[in-house]
Amino acid sequence: MAALSLHGLTKRYGSLTAVDSFSLEVARGTIFALLGPNGAGKTTIIRILTTLLRPDAGTAHVEGFDVRQQGQEVRRLIGVVPQDNNLDRYLTARENLVMQARLHGMGQAETGRRVDELLELVGLSGRRNDFPDTFSGGMQRRLVVARALVHRPRVLFLDEPTTGLDPQSRRAVWEYIESLKDSMTIFLTTHYMDEADTLCDRIVIMDHGKALVDGSAAQLKERMAHAHRYELQFRANADRYEAILAGFSFVRSLQRTGDLFRLSLAGEEYLKPLMDAIGTDDIRKVCLREPTLEDVFIELTGREVRE
Amino acid sequence: MMLTGAFSIWKRDMLVLRRSLFSELVAVVASPLTFYLAFGFGLRGYIADVEGVPYTVFMAPGLITMTAVTAAFDESAWSMWFHRKVQRTIEAYRVTPITVYDIVIGKIISGFTQGALKGVAVAAAIFLLTGVRFNPAHLAGYLSFIVLGSMVFSCAGTVCGTLLDKPETIGKVQAVVIMPLIFLSGVFFPVSSYPEALRSAVMVIPTTALFEGSRRALLAGALDGGLIAILAATALVAFAATVAIFNRKMAE
Ligand SMILES: Nc1ncnc2c1ncn2[C@@H]1O[C@H](COP(=O)(O)OP(=O)(O)OP(=O)(O)O)[C@@H](O)[C@H]1O
Ligand SMILES: [Mg+2]
Repeated sequence: MAALSLHGLTKRYGSLTAVDSFSLEVARGTIFALLGPNGAGKTTIIRILTTLLRPDAGTAHVEGFDVRQQGQEVRRLIGVVPQDNNLDRYLTARENLVMQARLHGMGQAETGRRVDELLELVGLSGRRNDFPDTFSGGMQRRLVVARALVHRPRVLFLDEPTTGLDPQSRRAVWEYIESLKDSMTIFLTTHYMDEADTLCDRIVIMDHGKALVDGSAAQLKERMAHAHRYELQFRANADRYEAILAGFSFVRSLQRTGDLFRLSLAGEEYLKPLMDAIGTDDIRKVCLREPTLEDVFIELTGREVRE
Repeated sequence: MMLTGAFSIWKRDMLVLRRSLFSELVAVVASPLTFYLAFGFGLRGYIADVEGVPYTVFMAPGLITMTAVTAAFDESAWSMWFHRKVQRTIEAYRVTPITVYDIVIGKIISGFTQGALKGVAVAAAIFLLTGVRFNPAHLAGYLSFIVLGSMVFSCAGTVCGTLLDKPETIGKVQAVVIMPLIFLSGVFFPVSSYPEALRSAVMVIPTTALFEGSRRALLAGALDGGLIAILAATALVAFAATVAIFNRKMAE
């Protein structure tokens, strides 16, 4: 059975269709990433799956339970890290976790053990009796992650878990996520492409409420193999070469940073005429550029900044 | 599992209250005591006995009741608003197996508890600092009014905290609805001051039933079944309405 299954899921806000007949199956034990520009509909999908929002149409099941009809069963099985921290600032770090355990009906002895173990795991043991207000953003985020794990969920939803974290904390969060992978299904959103690339088994890129591509990071990058992207660096006369490069009709895109150019060609066969035209006198470096996940993302969702 | 979620939320609220209990109680006693001194003593020479008792005695039950119900309203309204809009803890609760009923009932009971506690604090202060003494046998009847009144106001506060997104609006409701309702319901004067024609209509307003009924209960030991019934019915309706309103708001 799939851990998550969504069929024709739709959510509208007035005339805006935030999620547009979205379908997806995620197998158990997957680390799944949902990527998309601001406003694509990622948080809306997570809110529907965590029973906070009712879809207008379509169905969604978590571990076989219908999010509409069997909300309570769904909530027993999920852990949620929302996009914005929602810690209780009048409770200490430890009390925040104990409260979560109570709401999940956990017994006293088990709660104590589990809470201390998690505080240790996220490196907050020394601050257990402090209030979250006195924590840095990264420490608060780690506490929210710990809270989502208290009751050992089977499906963990993480909405931008590492936004605003320093590289150390990001890596720490990645490590927890990887270590959890065998015991649960993980559904995350992120704007860090490297994160999705290294961490996730499967990636869906969405925009305007619809899925655009679906596959592993390698499969997604494979789609870009046709793009023939190169990097050229010049020792001198970069301005002159820029004019030449811009003049070719087979140069499909051209980006310049100082004396370094990134370009994509309409086909492999154009590399020779290109090199013939610019000669080798001023060239410092020529190389083929492997596509990154970010290239795929930009190619699919365009360059424009979302409102 | 029945309502263990509500109990957990109530326990959380009590833990937080306990941390600031002393300052809360000092703050809540200050304003009724000021009214008491200003009206009861400042105007002593100008106000004769009211309904056969000295004015300082007459106004004491109303002040206690007023403190209890405003505390219940304030706590419920601000707490619900804060947990929903500022801290968003309501959302954290909503992704656990507890139901929306647990959340709203827990919050109503927390507001109610604060109201009752603060009412007792004011009663104790008036009792200790002034010569006013009540017959202990009258307390049970009085408490039944306080309990029902705090329930009604806690529900009203919860509805405000659920529906109103801006803090200013909650402040306006306090100034335009709650304060006039309380003051005109006879905290400082008896219902017999209203013109004959209006009196029976005024008595049916649940807040009048609350203030007039609680005063009669405490001063004279008269437990007016009609007034209790009005108040109990209001509390029941308010409770059902509040739960329904919260449930609907959360389903948006
Ligand atoms: N409560 C709401 N009322 C009206 N429109 C909303 C509401 N919540 C979200 N939207 C709209 O729905 C769309 C999807 O929003 P959503 O929060 O799901 O995006 P997202 O992919 O999570 O974006 P981000 O990366 O910025 O977090 C956006 O256009 C947003 O403006
Ligand atoms: Mg989002």
